Amino acid sequence: MILDNVCKRFGGVVAADEVSFTIASGQVRGLIGPNGSGKTTVLNIISGLCEADPGSIIFEGDNITKQPSHVRARLGIARTFQHPRLLKRCDIKANLFLGIDLANMKEKSSLFSKTDDHSLEGLLETAGLKISMDDSISSLSYGQQKLFEIVRAILTKPKVVLLDEPAAGLNTKEMERVRALIDIAVRNNAAVLLVEHSMDLVMNLCNSITVLNFGRIIAEGIPAEIQSNEAVIEAYLGKGRHA
Amino acid sequence: MSILLVGGLAIIVPFTASNYLLRVFNMTMITYICVVSLFVIFGMAGQISFAQAGFWGVGAYISAILTVDLHVSPLLALFASAFGTALLPAILGLALFRLHGHYFGFSTIGVVMILNGLFQNWKPVTGGADGIANIPPFGIASMTFTTEMSLFYLILFMVVAISVATYLIHHSSLGRAFMAIRENEIAAKCMGVNSYLTKIIAFTISGLYCGIAGSLYAFMSSYVSASSFTFPQSALYLVMLMLGGYHSLPGPIIGTALLMLLPEWFRFLQEYILLIYGLGVMVLMVVMPDGLIGGGKKAYEFIRDKRGWISANKKRPSNDLG
Repeated sequence: MILDNVCKRFGGVVAADEVSFTIASGQVRGLIGPNGSGKTTVLNIISGLCEADPGSIIFEGDNITKQPSHVRARLGIARTFQHPRLLKRCDIKANLFLGIDLANMKEKSSLFSKTDDHSLEGLLETAGLKISMDDSISSLSYGQQKLFEIVRAILTKPKVVLLDEPAAGLNTKEMERVRALIDIAVRNNAAVLLVEHSMDLVMNLCNSITVLNFGRIIAEGIPAEIQSNEAVIEAYLGKGRHA
Repeated sequence: MSILLVGGLAIIVPFTASNYLLRVFNMTMITYICVVSLFVIFGMAGQISFAQAGFWGVGAYISAILTVDLHVSPLLALFASAFGTALLPAILGLALFRLHGHYFGFSTIGVVMILNGLFQNWKPVTGGADGIANIPPFGIASMTFTTEMSLFYLILFMVVAISVATYLIHHSSLGRAFMAIRENEIAAKCMGVNSYLTKIIAFTISGLYCGIAGSLYAFMSSYVSASSFTFPQSALYLVMLMLGGYHSLPGPIIGTALLMLLPEWFRFLQEYILLIYGLGVMVLMVVMPDGLIGGGKKAYEFIRDKRGWISANKKRPSNDLG
């Protein structure tokens, strides 16, 4: 998947300014930046919730810039949200099946082979969710809901997984599980775009990192490069005030 | 359990009830179909609609006009009512679902108002304020449904068919798509649900149900006039659905039965019934926002856990995380 010069303006605010990068299958790209730097906007543009103007998104050679979100989802672009968006008044089963419905809709996708850890039970176990199918979503804790949403995203057999701060608000144990779930997605050849503030997770998981500030890419590279990049340190900590 | 209940009713009721009571039951079942139509569009898909009484009227008028003016067979008229009425929300939905949330709800008030205006004033077709009288009874081949008892079985058959269909929809991928839209439209889109099209499908199904109910009503009462198909009638459907509970099919059954049958038994209260009924609805909405079914469920959990209402409420996150 290629993002080419994607821009987005909200009134006078430039939320994304000529953002370009690629996400390759089986790889994890981190998308980091200070608050309000346009990370979620970029995710929204990729998943089709808002339109890039101008700019284009190429997915498997096709330009999908004008496609509505549900078409993109059916093409294999799955995402989670910063705050989990689950069917709160439905049981676990209906929520999971929503993901399986989508997987069935695009039966033709052959990228995902049926591996053991891809099965539903395996995924739930990796997520540490010991739940019964009849439980309601509201019986899950916030962390469990976030993990559950990732499970549902992987269940759709995606080619691209967009994760919006999957670890925010989670404890260390749950963070480990997020990492394990991302591993499963990667092993199944999905391309992962990870928006995250937890540097620990980002530095360990990502093959490459893109840093945004005020909607612009200020750095790009492998984790080690990013850690020593002066522009990044400046964006996060400010100029001339070394800790 | 509900199967047993319906089965039991089917056997006992027609033999013990007077013709008058049977008529009340028949009317209750027709109303139930309309409430189920609201369950589909509002309960499942989360789109509040006040147009249902209007669609019900369209169904009734189609059957009336076809059989009285054009001498079409009643069975054909029933099908024409069902599909003709379904066509209306399908077309309206194309335009109205450009609106979201409450704005869609308000637009459906316009729909029922316009439809009622048409019934009232389009004299050459609908008979204007006089309505259409002398609608022949429903019949298939040589079998005619003239007695209240035969009508009871006819309508009961439709009620069961529609309930089963709705149950199957509720537990299918289509039903999940409806509920995904109700709970979170953005998330639904990201799960591959075409929300615009799916809402139109829900609206169309609800129109289909109303068309069937309207046709049955026309054949049962042999007379239709605009005064039945009004906005307050739509609002009543909503009250019935909210009262019973709008998350599962037993809700419409209980809500409709209560509001249709109780007034019959409390006839001695005369006009005060409205006062009590209004107060009752208000109290119920405060105490049991999920209707009687939801309240019953909560009470069951309360007894089971013995941890009290507060902890039962605490389980669900109070703030909207979406």
